[in-house]
This record gives sequence, structure tokens and C-alpha cells, in this order.
Amino acid sequence: MSELLDVRVASVRQLTPLVREFTFEAVSGELPGFSAGSHVQVHMPGTGRPLCNAYSLLSDPLQRQYYRIAVRLQEQSRGGSRFMHEQVKEGDVLRLSPPANLFAPHSRAGHHLMIAGGIGITPFMAYIAALEQRGGSMELHYAYRSGLTDTYLEELAARLGAALHPYDGRAGQRLNIRQVLSDQPLGTHVYICGPDSLISDVCQTADALGWPAERIHWEAFAAPEPGEPFVAELADGRTLAVPGDYSLLEALEQAGVPVPNLCRGGVCGQCMTPYSAGEVDHRDLYLSDSERADHLMPCVSRGKGGCTVKLAL
Amino acid sequence: MTTAAAMLSTPVYRPVLPPLPAQHRLLVVQHLALPETAYWQQQLGEEGVPVSLISLNGDMEQLFGSLQQRLSQARVGTRLYICGDESFLWKVHQQARQCGLLNGEIELIRTADSRELYCVHCSTLQTIEPAPLVHCRQCGLQLMVREHFSQRLGAYMGVCNDPFAPYGEAPATVASTSLEEQAS
Repeated sequence: MSELLDVRVASVRQLTPLVREFTFEAVSGELPGFSAGSHVQVHMPGTGRPLCNAYSLLSDPLQRQYYRIAVRLQEQSRGGSRFMHEQVKEGDVLRLSPPANLFAPHSRAGHHLMIAGGIGITPFMAYIAALEQRGGSMELHYAYRSGLTDTYLEELAARLGAALHPYDGRAGQRLNIRQVLSDQPLGTHVYICGPDSLISDVCQTADALGWPAERIHWEAFAAPEPGEPFVAELADGRTLAVPGDYSLLEALEQAGVPVPNLCRGGVCGQCMTPYSAGEVDHRDLYLSDSERADHLMPCVSRGKGGCTVKLAL
Repeated sequence: MTTAAAMLSTPVYRPVLPPLPAQHRLLVVQHLALPETAYWQQQLGEEGVPVSLISLNGDMEQLFGSLQQRLSQARVGTRLYICGDESFLWKVHQQARQCGLLNGEIELIRTADSRELYCVHCSTLQTIEPAPLVHCRQCGLQLMVREHFSQRLGAYMGVCNDPFAPYGEAPATVASTSLEEQAS
């Protein structure tokens, strides 16, 4: 795994009652470059537990002075978004994993159709900057709740003009997915970032309209859902009790067993771990049914009913 | 001699029915008069999805022109069905890719067993019946039909079957005999 980056919090802005923006600069040297759609993992110290959430970089990928992220306060927070909202102050030093990209705009798309729900706008801020620079054709459909999750709306309206299609859920405005997807020129790729329900609605509608999977790209970063406690047994015989509000990955990290990972959300495939016994509640979007027989994704998946999962680690 | 094993590039033709969802289907046929044309037009039009037909009228360039014109107006949700022999399928496939269709939007309906073979020694393209060994129509060399398929040429690769009789030298049997004689 790449070395962690030390960054200083250069500024903090409250954008809406629910969304806080953070700008990071390098403590020393230069920040590594990144491409549109990249994310970083922010390590959160002092929460009494290992905690590390992935956030999309929303700043212009061409400028190298700072990284910028926006964090929505989650009601069901395991502590990550609350920590960012309540603890992090200007001047603080945080550690980040270097940027990784699992959601890049397709290089051969003739038209980029972006669909954002709420805080899912963040990767598209970097997309828009990159597409403006290369003169890419684009349109953005942005569903939000005014005064709560309408992050960057004014800036987007100024930058995109008619290519911005806003939908204020509080005013009863609805995004008609079918209408949008049924009239797109042939070279179009669609990108979705937002809640799972939005992603699955768009994917299902696209599929029914004859969009091939190659044209559909999505990213859902959600912290792992809590579950029942269970036990993990390591290859050397050690056993770890995994509490209900810890992911297996976090429990392994706390026990000093690092597992390579990029997304911590069950999509990238990096933390795939073989296991030989135990009933597993697979919650990832990566493994095939046959792979699930002997592999699991510790970032999101858990043992069922307090069972012991034997890991080949 | 058995047929060479399938390779990564060997095309696999998946069943086209039931058709995948689409907003519009485009059917390109090599022979308008064949019974397949009417059959596929009917099958693909079930559930009320509009089907447009383009047929080869002897001239590939003209066919590519109409295909390009149709696809320049097309929306995502268009599926292309190409119906003909293997060589025709891949020539149209290549053109459709250049017009912006992705592999997942193109379906191939193969109507003949014949194969196109490319002699890697004299660069001649020729139509063959399924067989592991053939003689090149142009240079006469005995070719092994490899399962390596070029999508660009729409053809399998034919390579000299006898390593002791390389291309440009005496016919296979004579050459190998003389080599054995030299060795002894």
C-alpha cells in the first residue's frame, strides 16, 4: 500500500446545514496529482477506534496546490461524518491515503451524462473542471433538497448554463430518468453518484431501454452498515471479536493485520480475502456468486449470527 | 489431424433470441432475398420495437454509407443485428464500431458455415469450407487453419503446415525428405 499523506486543513466552510467543505494542503512537498473521479480515504484519529472514510476529490484536477472534499453529515453516522463536522478545524493535520480512481470519465465518450443525488455531486465537480478543459460535451442532472443538500448549485448554474438540470425534491421536482435516458446520442456514457436507490433506478431503467453495461458507470460510497457481532479466526489461530459497529476490515486493522484496500465500500475488490469456514453475509458489489463460496470483502461483509469466520490471513 | 483448439480471438456467437431490450433495432442483411431476412425482421419486431432494415446491394461502400447515416442520428438504446456469412459480419461490425456502437450493442447472426481464410504467406483472402488443412488458392502452400481470428480482416489465419518446407521453397513432402537426407 502507498504511504499516507500528511495534509493540513487549510480551510473549512459550512456550505449547507448538512454539508461541510474541507480544503487540504500538503504539510511538506507537493500533493500527488489526481484525475477526475478520484477519491481519498481520510483517516480519523482520536475517535477511539480505527475510522477511515472515502471521499471524492472535488477540486480541479489540474491545480496541484490543494485537495478539496465535501462531507455530508449522516444521521446514521458511525462517527466518521460527525468527526469531520465537529472535530476537524482549520490548521489541523490529517492523514490521507493517496488518491485512487474507480470512477473516471470514459475517454472515448462522445457525451457525458452525469446524474447526481445530493452529496453525490462531489466527483462531478472534478469531472466538470476536466471536461471544460478538454471541451467535452456534457450535461448534469442534479437532484437535491434546497437549503440542505443543494451544494454548489449556484456555481453549477453559472458554469453549466442550460446543461444543468436541477431537481429540488422539496419543491416536488422529480428527475424523469426514463425521459433523460431515452434521448441520448449514441456516444453517450452515463455516470451516477448518489444514494443506492438512485443508482439502482438509473441502472434498471438504462438496462430496460437497451443501454449496454459498458455505457453505465456508478459510484456509491457509503460507510459499512453495522450488523451483528461475530468472530474472525486468523490463520495463526488468533481470534478477533468483531463488534457490531466495526467492519471486519477495521477489526483486522486494529489487530495489526493490514489488508490492502481502496474504497472501503465493497466495490473496488482490493481487500478480497479468502476464507474457509463460517456463514458470511456478503454485502459487496464485487464478487461473483462462485467467488463468494471462498472469498469475502472484509470492508463491508460480516459473519452471520455470531458465527466464527475462518480467514486465510 | 484434429481441428486446432479455440483461442481467445476465436469468435463465439451467442444466441440472439430472446432479443435484449432496445428502443430501436437495426437489421443489416447480406442477402435480402434469403428467408432469414423475413424471419429476423419478424422476431426482432416483437414487443413493438421498431426494426429498420438495411441490405447489401452488392456494394459494401454504399452499405457502410447508409449504416453511418443511420447511426449518426441514433440514440443510445439502438441495437444492431448483422446477418450474413462470417466475413460479412465482421466487416460490418468494424464499421459499426467506428460509428460509435459498442460490442455490447452489436449482435451477430451467422448464416453460413463457410470461413474466410487469410494466407499469412501471400496475403490472399479466400473462402473455405470448414477443414483443418487447405491449399492456398494463390500460392499453393498447404495451410493449417489456425483458430486465431482477425476481426479486422474477418478471417482466420492460415499458416504453412510443414515447418520443414517454409514458404517459397519446394513443396512440403520433397523438402522434408531432402532435409532428412542431409541430416543422415
